[in-house]
Amino acid sequence: MIAFEHVGKRYGGRFEALANIDFRVRRGEMVFLTGHSGAGKSSLLRLVMRLERPSRGRILVAGHDIDRLHVSQIPFYRRQIGVVFQDHQLLFDRSIFHNVALPLEIQGVEPHEAARRVRAALDKVGLLHREKALPIELSGGEQQRVGIARAVVHKPSLLLADEPTGNLDPQLSADIMGLFEDFNRIGTTVMIASHDLSLIARLRHRVLGLRDGRLVSDEEAA
Amino acid sequence: MSPDSSRPSRGARAHGARPRSRLLSWVRHHRAMSLDSARRLLRHPVASLLTMLAIAIALVLPAALWLTLDGARLLDAELEESATLTVYLENGTSEAEAGRIEEALAAHDLVAQTRLITAAEGMAEFQQALGLSDALGRLEDNPLPASVVVKPKDPSPEVVRVLAGSLEAIAGVGEVRLDLAWIERLRYLAELGRRVTLALVVLFGLGVLLVVGNTIRLSVESRRQEIEVVTLIGATHAFVRRPFLYSGAWYGLGGGLLAWGLLTLGSGWLSAPVSALAASYGASFSLPRLGLHGSAILVGCSTLLSWLGAWIAVTRHLAEIRPR
Repeated sequence: MIAFEHVGKRYGGRFEALANIDFRVRRGEMVFLTGHSGAGKSSLLRLVMRLERPSRGRILVAGHDIDRLHVSQIPFYRRQIGVVFQDHQLLFDRSIFHNVALPLEIQGVEPHEAARRVRAALDKVGLLHREKALPIELSGGEQQRVGIARAVVHKPSLLLADEPTGNLDPQLSADIMGLFEDFNRIGTTVMIASHDLSLIARLRHRVLGLRDGRLVSDEEAA
Repeated sequence: MSPDSSRPSRGARAHGARPRSRLLSWVRHHRAMSLDSARRLLRHPVASLLTMLAIAIALVLPAALWLTLDGARLLDAELEESATLTVYLENGTSEAEAGRIEEALAAHDLVAQTRLITAAEGMAEFQQALGLSDALGRLEDNPLPASVVVKPKDPSPEVVRVLAGSLEAIAGVGEVRLDLAWIERLRYLAELGRRVTLALVVLFGLGVLLVVGNTIRLSVESRRQEIEVVTLIGATHAFVRRPFLYSGAWYGLGGGLLAWGLLTLGSGWLSAPVSALAASYGASFSLPRLGLHGSAILVGCSTLLSWLGAWIAVTRHLAEIRPR
């Protein structure tokens, strides 16, 4: 599903954020990406989302070299990915329902169908009863669940998450990870950047370890 | 995601969207965005009104000049219509001869109409015009020659000049008088007015672009986070641009209607003194009004210009906004 082939990324010609990254993620796999802050986790995810281009090497997603995508194709590429952010990036001027509906609106899904899917996604994260609320009225954990609902509402084949449990207490973090595992179980490829090592250790999935922009460990699920 | 297709599948396809339903969703988004941008404008009525007023003021001056020029052109045409040549016959030409010469003149290709003024008629007109009947009546001979007033088919100065030359060559013709200088002056003035107006139209049009561009730039800035998020989840540039383009168009529409209102008010306010002034010169000139056609052009241009201003601002600005 994802293949990094000797990928390097430099910023401003000097700072080397990633060096010689080489790994593959199979379709339907769930992978954690760990490392200290600044180790390159976010840079790696940004490369997969095609927010940035590698300075060296190739990145293949679903068999395509995403560096060769034309600018006009990038939006359509991103529609196949769901992204969960640490700060969840909800839009505060609209309701939970409309936040979750955003990807469907962008893709021009017919409103009835969109409403059905939004409710299904909200139901999955346990927030169906809050669809009319504004993000500001929700707790941090609930906001993150809305972010997840928005990331999966269009049924992406690849789900990326950047520190999705960064600001949450252990119980909420475990719940959120449980949601990701549910989506993985129905075939979604999931890649989560996190530095919550104790939580990751309990979940028994493949773990890629980054340090100073290099891939230093690749532990298959136990 | 299909690994075997050479390009990433277009998002809509994943949901089985056919061209028809894609068109429907496009129309739906246009409708939603036009209403949404109108609502956003209405949410800040004073700010929106100020922007529209700025557009209106930028449009009123060139539009008013254009109208005045249009009126002047009508006047110009009327004046040209009255352009005539006076052909004086040689002194002592008999009336019969004068009649023959008139026929010869009338037969000329470039002549539309002729009117013979005999020496006696000329004298009578002269006396009446000057009120010197006593003094002139004492003259023994009529010193005035007979004349023929010639109306050319084409009143443009170049043609009239050629015509005058060829009429002068006809036997029995003494002198051909034509007064072209003032027609030419008027033409130069009209040309000057036209160019000044054009320059102002371009300048103030640019002003509208800048006003709208700046307003839209601010509104893009205030919705930066939203733009970043939708770009991250696969919005195309067209999708992101759309609400701002509609805002621009709404500003333009509002500005155009305001300009129309200002022009109508202004011409109503000025029409009485203008007509009175014209009447005192014995002319009937009234301020031209924006007809249906003119109004449509004004409002249409305003909308289009503002849309363009928004387009430039959004496109320039979107290039700078990159998701974090």
